[in-house]
Amino acid sequence: MRQLRSWAASACTGSVRACAVLVVSLLVPAVWAGAVALGIRWGAGNPWSWTAPCVLVCGGTLALSRPVCRMFRHLVARWTATVVPAGYRQAGPVTRMSTGYWWNGFGYERTSRDALLDQKWRIRWSDPATRRDLRFTAIAPFTAGAVAALPPAGVAAAVLGLGRPEPAARAIGVLGLAVALATAPYAWRCAEPVAVRFLRASPAMALAQRVDELTAQRADTTVAQAAEIRRIERDLHDGAQARLVGLGLSLATAEKLMETDPDRARALLREARAGAATSLTELRELVSGISPPVLNERGLLAAVRAFALDSPLDVAVEAELRLRLDPPIESALYFGIAELVTNAVKHARATRARIVVARDGTGLVVDVEDDGRGGAAVRPGGGLAGLRRRLAAFDGTLEITSPEGGPTRARMMVPCASL
Amino acid sequence: MRIVVAEDLYLLRDGMVRLLEAYGHEVVATATTGPETLEALLARRPDVAVVDVRMPPAQSDEGLRAALAARGQLPGLPVLILSQHVEQLYARELLADGSGGVGYLLKESVFDADQFIDALERVARGGTAMDPAVIAKLLAGGPSRRRLEGLTAREHSVLALMAEGLSNQAIGRRLFLSDSAISKYTTSLFGKLGITDDDHHNRRVRAVLTYLNRP
Repeated sequence: MRQLRSWAASACTGSVRACAVLVVSLLVPAVWAGAVALGIRWGAGNPWSWTAPCVLVCGGTLALSRPVCRMFRHLVARWTATVVPAGYRQAGPVTRMSTGYWWNGFGYERTSRDALLDQKWRIRWSDPATRRDLRFTAIAPFTAGAVAALPPAGVAAAVLGLGRPEPAARAIGVLGLAVALATAPYAWRCAEPVAVRFLRASPAMALAQRVDELTAQRADTTVAQAAEIRRIERDLHDGAQARLVGLGLSLATAEKLMETDPDRARALLREARAGAATSLTELRELVSGISPPVLNERGLLAAVRAFALDSPLDVAVEAELRLRLDPPIESALYFGIAELVTNAVKHARATRARIVVARDGTGLVVDVEDDGRGGAAVRPGGGLAGLRRRLAAFDGTLEITSPEGGPTRARMMVPCASL
Repeated sequence: MRIVVAEDLYLLRDGMVRLLEAYGHEVVATATTGPETLEALLARRPDVAVVDVRMPPAQSDEGLRAALAARGQLPGLPVLILSQHVEQLYARELLADGSGGVGYLLKESVFDADQFIDALERVARGGTAMDPAVIAKLLAGGPSRRRLEGLTAREHSVLALMAEGLSNQAIGRRLFLSDSAISKYTTSLFGKLGITDDDHHNRRVRAVLTYLNRP
């Protein structure tokens, strides 16, 4: 009894889903059929009566192909949890140049509205995903649509056939009923393999997207590196170099005064010693900002432990793995952790934090949690956006969950072949 | 004293040897790599060794490892670690075996030669010499800061100097106070922190550091 009930439930949802698949895949054919009917009505022999139907067919197909594919993807994702990535080309930023014109990546326009519109259509035209969508709208009615049509067609045959007295028609009606009952729970499932096979991004699209990503990352890395070198140059120029000049001056003066005024000479030498100590302190801070010594000497985990010890927070470090990663990845993760903990102190006013370094199947996962007041978000140009960019250079990701009132949880993931 | 100097940079090694000889000490061996350092420490058994953290072949923490390994075989072998940077992490490793005779100072501490030789002799006697930078980081850290809230400013500075490894007399000289005043401060701050006092320098330092690091 229970089996019968569950079969009935799955048959009901199955037939509803099959109808939905059928409707979505028949939208474009319906437009074509409507256009043909219109042409025949206006006079099949007269070529002029086909102009409007042709326009309707072209416009309707182009306008409907993307929504149809979206609906298909949505239905499949909702019913089967199979997410088919769309792979549409993303629009770049539209920026205002110093001349007052707007640059959208393709050309200049007078207003930002024009620039956005122009960008949208150029991307739509050149996007390989558009051609894939068109192809899908042609394929869908004959694959997923045809299979999904079985239950409704069977029901229709049963209703029509069983209502007639002839034995042949009755036999067809019984056959239709059998087909409808047999296929009702399963017919919609055909939509999934069809969507996976024909709606996913083609290798060429995936490559094009990867090239876009890498180009953006390379630009980011170059900019970040140049900024970093400028910072180091400025620190050295204003700090250690200036102090060494002062040191040389003090020593020269002390040498001169040695004979005539030994007391002042001695005071100058003491000053010079203090200056040397100060410039060493500055250099040490500069070095630990470029590359913390413990990171070079002991690796990521020891460096994180050392950082935790020096932090004003109560920081717990949990890590079970003992391994050295590539130095650039270690450095990026170290500075990422340092930034997250510093944010917990400065912005979230946390009192304790927890750092967990672990590995999963594909790479390294670093979790940083604090008990602060939350509200952290990745804002353009902010520190977290910078961190995300730096991790992206290694195909790493940063996820932040930080509701108002806390707590903040940040997760950095970096894929590593060396694990 | 018979001293081993382990330092890979020629200028610093040479300067260190000259400084030690100027104070009347004998440098019995110099080492320029991690393995050489370990060998010299074990073969010469010096009264005290001055060891750099970062040395060839890998330019990581070879010197520190060599010193720890040597102390593993010869417990209590006095070692003074000199480094361009000081880390609480390394300080804990040095203090972990509890046998005393360890120092951990920044390289620029040699600028004040008298104090440096003082620290070296303290280490050779089985005492402790911790850099003020390590102690400052330690006293500013999260868990310890809450614990130190009850101390007066004077007690705080006495605690910091004590954690560096100084005796009551030396603390008195630094702060321009009498011995009896210092022992009054130490008694009151030990009472506030709940540490049992005894006169052995290293045990005092370890008591302070362990107490401050307790989570």
